[in-house]
Amino acid sequence: MMKGGGFQVVHGVELIQPHEQWDCTNVGFENNCTNMERNELSMWVDNIAKQLIEDLPETSTESLQTDTTMVFEESIVPSTLGESRPRKMTKRSYSCDGSGSEQLYCSHQLGDQTNLSRLDEHDLSLITLLLECAVAISVDNLGEAHRMILELTQTASPYGPSCAERVVAYFSKAMASRVVNSWLGFCNPLVNHKGIHCAFQVFNNISPFIKFAHFTSNQAILEAFHRLDRVHIIDLDIMQGLQWPALFHILATRLEGPPHVRMTGMGTSLDLLVETGKQLSNFAKRLDMSFEFHPIAKKFGDVDMSMLQIRSGEPLAVHWLQHSLYDPTGPDWKTMRLLHDLAPRVITLVEQDMSHGGSFLDRFVGSLHYYSTIFDSLGAFLPSDDQSRHHVEHCLMYKEINNILAIGGPARSGEDKFRHWRSELARNGFMQVPMSGNSMAQAQLILNMFPPAHGYSLVQGDGTIKLGWKETSLFTASAWTSHASR
Amino acid sequence: MDTLFRLVNLQQQHYQQQSDQSNSSRTSSSSKSSTQQNQPHHAQVEECFNFFMDEDDFSSSSKHFYNPYQPPSTTTTPTTTTGTPPPPHDDLNLDFSGNWSTELLLETAKAFADKNSGRVKELVWMLNELGSPYGDTDQKIAFYFLQALFSRMTDSGEQCHRTLTSASEKNCSFESTRKTVLKFQEVSPWTTFGHVACNGAIMDAFEGETKLHIIDISNTYCTQWPTLLEALATRTDETEHLRLTTVVAGGGEAVVQKVMREIGQRMEKFARLMGVPFTFNVIHHTSDLSNLNLSELDVKDDETLAVNCVGALHAARRRDSVVSMFRSLRPRIVTVVEEEADLNFGSDGFEFVRGVSGVLERLMLERAAGRAVVDLVACPSDDSAERREPAARWSRRMHGGGFSPVAFSDEVSDDVRALLRRYREGWSMAQCSDSAGIFLSWKDQAVVWASAWRP
Repeated sequence: MMKGGGFQVVHGVELIQPHEQWDCTNVGFENNCTNMERNELSMWVDNIAKQLIEDLPETSTESLQTDTTMVFEESIVPSTLGESRPRKMTKRSYSCDGSGSEQLYCSHQLGDQTNLSRLDEHDLSLITLLLECAVAISVDNLGEAHRMILELTQTASPYGPSCAERVVAYFSKAMASRVVNSWLGFCNPLVNHKGIHCAFQVFNNISPFIKFAHFTSNQAILEAFHRLDRVHIIDLDIMQGLQWPALFHILATRLEGPPHVRMTGMGTSLDLLVETGKQLSNFAKRLDMSFEFHPIAKKFGDVDMSMLQIRSGEPLAVHWLQHSLYDPTGPDWKTMRLLHDLAPRVITLVEQDMSHGGSFLDRFVGSLHYYSTIFDSLGAFLPSDDQSRHHVEHCLMYKEINNILAIGGPARSGEDKFRHWRSELARNGFMQVPMSGNSMAQAQLILNMFPPAHGYSLVQGDGTIKLGWKETSLFTASAWTSHASR
Repeated sequence: MDTLFRLVNLQQQHYQQQSDQSNSSRTSSSSKSSTQQNQPHHAQVEECFNFFMDEDDFSSSSKHFYNPYQPPSTTTTPTTTTGTPPPPHDDLNLDFSGNWSTELLLETAKAFADKNSGRVKELVWMLNELGSPYGDTDQKIAFYFLQALFSRMTDSGEQCHRTLTSASEKNCSFESTRKTVLKFQEVSPWTTFGHVACNGAIMDAFEGETKLHIIDISNTYCTQWPTLLEALATRTDETEHLRLTTVVAGGGEAVVQKVMREIGQRMEKFARLMGVPFTFNVIHHTSDLSNLNLSELDVKDDETLAVNCVGALHAARRRDSVVSMFRSLRPRIVTVVEEEADLNFGSDGFEFVRGVSGVLERLMLERAAGRAVVDLVACPSDDSAERREPAARWSRRMHGGGFSPVAFSDEVSDDVRALLRRYREGWSMAQCSDSAGIFLSWKDQAVVWASAWRP
């Protein structure tokens, strides 16, 4: 490991110099999926939730989708919601009276899909109560929801030994927060950016998802910048810039020498951005790479062309690693408009495979599925008292859960969030650049660094690369180009 | 429920401030548009939040701000710290080194009393962001207080109370109870104040007597008695025998019985160590204290009787009956300790919360936490098991029941002062002006009352 200016460059994962041509027609399909087991908890949750929702008088279930299948037909596994529906049961079966046997009985009735041997009675009753609570919130029965939240927070603990219990604990707390927000009539979560950056780094160390995002994107950028001598990169939410040293390193060792790199780092705090800029500049200097850094403490959507100081003859890469910790870009339509105006050579996008829009219940079920999966992935190899695991669960995962449940959705945020950026880009004049075999190779190398590699699932298809856990896709990396830039 | 939503976006406001390069975006915005906002453009930020969350507030210079995440301890009780949240603007002058929650509650109460709805919303927002059911004491207090407030506003108090009662009883155990109580006693003289004062008065009353019986109706899990046993062991008079009859309220659930059995075993062992002949009895009592079956107490004629009542009188409904019941037992001394709180104000006024400051902390640590808070804030008064009275009121009751006060001796006062010196600054002892007994005060606010009486 080489250290440079506070960053570590991991030599084991060299970016591969592109040999193949910049070819947009190459849509490879490789299935590197190696997992075998079903994600029991998530599937069971989906089934139960579906049932509870169907029992509601007015809500329709058509809107329920999980993004794991949006683009990808021959996916890791199709959405469990679309599959064989559980047999209709009476409402009584789902009431949580603490009797574990009743819950287990339910599970057998739901067909062979679920094998709940790993979930004990305690977990099952907690999750059932959690779902009932969500349903209460979705129909605005805040009093009833509140009562259930009290019970949940007394019985579930984020320090519990089972992932399910922890997930329930955090979801309960998020719902408690939401109930108060509803009561107040507004919502404004406290954001500690420094804390988030720190937790993000820990997450980067214990889980492959961030590195996956970084390295696959870097590869796509590298390929787009083939043979260019001046480049401009805009990172919509740079945080501590963990991603860039690896790219700088490979650019610096190009046969034709490094290009002049201009980087525009965007984020929330000018101080933090300036600090990041310093680190990156130092690193670039060490590599003898010509580098400029411009911090912009604004949201991407609120910025105009002049602020970005676009120079002609300087091809542009825009990078965006999406998360739910806070809103780095502002209204989606503005972001799209600016992207359009910028006409970048490449846009590297890494999305969370979860919908941030839709009704409360949609978001609830989707995020429960999503975060259960992440918690499972952490719990698969980290013991229950592991500090890093707690740090990530508490400071990152919980914040996201809280934001999704408390904010999300047009009714509360006052704006329509795109459900699916990839589709939106496609619809708005951008052309997908398929992720290359080299990107896939990068991803594979990353996975090899993280035990248990067999739990993670890496899939390439439809021009994207997806990384998930077991059969649930969690992040999708893709690349795009503006027609105008060609 | 009013479900108007408006995303008050911190970042947006912050960027605005930065680009305006001024701090003057504190414009008053009291508009409350009730339509859902579906346009892409946002309305203005509510005034109350303008002073919050300047990114600069989170600078790394202050030690109060972002703490590296603290891992939980290895005990199973979830009373450990999660990551400490960053404190809000200094505007509120909150001291985050301890007890920020109680100050926040008091501020909220004040805002309610002043009918300052904008301020109330700010404070509720803070409680919501900073509170947590899984965090440290302050975080728990903030969380439970908020839940109680919500219950009250939605009239679901009783249901919540029942929910919490059943939930917490499932989690009770001797170890957790013991740890909780000890931790609490370590941290504040809340209970030890009463113990020292009462033990002192009881020892004075027992002077020259050898056959002793104490009827203990308390909520401190017998933590009072080891010191008394020690005092008995070292006094010049011989002790022929000490009987301790503990009356435990509640439903006599298996878990409580189990806890009391363990406590009893430990007490007996300790007494043996001290060389004091000792018998321990527990009476589980389900209904109101005034319905206690006196024959169960088995009071003997040749014994000197002391009745010790710590934090238990307020749970009784027919308080005057309880007092006369005590009288009928013909005790040598009755010691009473109660939290000082004027809580019988009108149901709509939140002034009572002012008196609750310390009570909440105590309740949190007793793991009867949420339950009591909910009860306090949200349940209708006749059903409440937590309605406290001020010392003056209790005194009148005792007088009315045929008791007259016994002053604490100088020695006892000295002991109490010595006790208080062991804790942090801010605690003091004061004689009551309009009633018998002494007060434990926190920053000159009376919080616990201790008194001694004889027929």
